[in-house]
Amino acid sequence: MLENYLPILIFIGIGLVVGGGMIAAGFLLGPHKPDSEKLTSYECGFDAFEDARMKFDVRYYLVAILFIIFDLEIAFLFPWAVVLRDIGMFGFLAMVMFLGILVIGFIYEWKKGALQWE
Amino acid sequence: MSFEQILFYLFSGVLVLSAGAVITVRNPVHAAMFLVLCFVTTSALWLLLEAEFLAITLVLVYVGAVMVLFLFVVMMLDINLARMREGFARYLPIGGIVAATAVGIMGLAVGRINFGLDVWPAPPARAADYSNTRELGEQLYTTYVYPFEIASVVLLVAIVAAIALTLRTRPGTRYQKIEEQVVVKKSDRLRVVQLESEGRK
Repeated sequence: MLENYLPILIFIGIGLVVGGGMIAAGFLLGPHKPDSEKLTSYECGFDAFEDARMKFDVRYYLVAILFIIFDLEIAFLFPWAVVLRDIGMFGFLAMVMFLGILVIGFIYEWKKGALQWE
Repeated sequence: MSFEQILFYLFSGVLVLSAGAVITVRNPVHAAMFLVLCFVTTSALWLLLEAEFLAITLVLVYVGAVMVLFLFVVMMLDINLARMREGFARYLPIGGIVAATAVGIMGLAVGRINFGLDVWPAPPARAADYSNTRELGEQLYTTYVYPFEIASVVLLVAIVAAIALTLRTRPGTRYQKIEEQVVVKKSDRLRVVQLESEGRK
């Protein structure tokens, strides 16, 4: 079975070689003449006056967590779709119930306005 | 040493190094990126165990979704690094005890006694057309249907809890009301005014 994944391993290897090789080539071949002016921080002529990290609105977090939940739901759908012919009506109804319970949550978040952006 | 063993040691070496980097690098965003590398190498290890569906789900769910959430949390907390570093020596003994206990329990559970090759002989390698996803699906939706339905309830609870904790509506915001836009008639928006025509003066 593992031989099916050999192309992916080769891709990982090529990706590492190409990505690392470009950085290494730039590092080795490019000229390095640093001076104190080149090494100062530069932000449109000012000194950097703020940290790059700042507080986010919490509603991005809500979108992210709702995305995770429906991502998980989709992860459950893949094996179900593969074996749908073999598990018969029982398996089909099991997934209908699973999706039905999650649709309750979906209606709740829709009606609450969690999907609406202000 | 077979090729698969070399791959195993390669991936687990990267995994251990990046797991160490998660807790030692100073920048929390870099730590989250090393955690992504941890997940990817773990997925490679699971693939070596022929658990292909779980390996790909790990990348899909953890790298694709959970790490986005982690990065949001890291950004949202606005961590003061200097303040987090103090108290390291004070918490060292209790942290050491917790870590030693965890390592001990893990050693007992997955050590040589329970997981050696003499206890569980190595399963034969699967054929090229073997589908781990199919095997998983045949069990999950029939034998383990009850835990499967409980998973959906847990996800429902997660939806409700996330909305209850984080949803804030600001007063006075304007929404687009699509249903009103759709049912609007010509007479609601348009007024035809009859004017006397005027001659040129």
